[in-house]
Amino acid sequence: MRIRSVIVAAVFIGAAQASPALAQPQSATATMTVSVSTSAKLTISSSTLTFADANPDLVPQIAPAQGALSITAKARATDNAQVVLTVQADDDLRSGLQVIPASAITWTASGTGFASGTLSKTAPVTLGQWIGSGSRTGSQTLAFRNLWTYATGTYTCVLLYTLSGP
Amino acid sequence: MTTPRAHHRRRAGCAIVRITAVALTVWLQASWVTAQKLTLAVTPSTVSFASADPDTTPTILAAPITVSVRVQSNSGAWHLTVQANGDLLSGGATIDATQVSWTAAPPPFQNGTLSKVAAQPIASGTGNVNPAINGSVVFRLANSWNYSAGIYSQTIVFTLSAP
Repeated sequence: MRIRSVIVAAVFIGAAQASPALAQPQSATATMTVSVSTSAKLTISSSTLTFADANPDLVPQIAPAQGALSITAKARATDNAQVVLTVQADDDLRSGLQVIPASAITWTASGTGFASGTLSKTAPVTLGQWIGSGSRTGSQTLAFRNLWTYATGTYTCVLLYTLSGP
Repeated sequence: MTTPRAHHRRRAGCAIVRITAVALTVWLQASWVTAQKLTLAVTPSTVSFASADPDTTPTILAAPITVSVRVQSNSGAWHLTVQANGDLLSGGATIDATQVSWTAAPPPFQNGTLSKVAAQPIASGTGNVNPAINGSVVFRLANSWNYSAGIYSQTIVFTLSAP
């Protein structure tokens, strides 16, 4: 009986010393927060467009010397909100008292969400339209309708591009 | 002169005393062995990323947080991990948890990328860490124009374990 007790005790003591009590894993939490504000950024490859003089019979549509405009429209909008890019002329093309309607300028566009259109001085015309945030790139190729009826002169107007979201 | 029955009783009594003594000894020995102790603290408990232009700030840094680890009475390995409870959420909009990474110093703290799927190692070692070591952790968010506007949040969990 004594020998058995000693053995039992030794076994228990050995087990206790070989396996100290293991601690439970300890956890700590932190709250991560990200703030994303609405914003928009519009980049156009050229700020000037020049349509050179040409024979209306040979060149009924004049392309600008700068070629197609490369446009990048970046926007952060609320989830699933609509983002719109428009263009509007501040006035008709004018050269002193001579006037060429802004609608003489048209464009074709390429790139997802970009659309063709005709310039207007009375209302913004949609050049691009998308849903939600993102960076969109496309091109706009403008053309000037060439007519014999235009009085000679150098005509100018300003085109206003607007990228907006809610 | 004792009867056989009395003798038997005395022997039984001795056996009970002996077993009790052995049990007490075992209990004392077991109590004497110092229990393993793990201590973990994270301060502050908030990690905030401010809004920024992705073109000029492609990576947004949060203010550093301090992760304090102490391991006592440990003879094996210990591990500190961090895991997100999910993607960052703002209503129906999400930012994937993997867009968040971190840099950490000094060793044994290590850099990594956050995950909602699996706990990611942020520090490890063997034996004791006593006194506590403090790691400076800077979380970094990969900024993008694709994020919807809003305030996103999620809980991240640091876990210290051994083995």
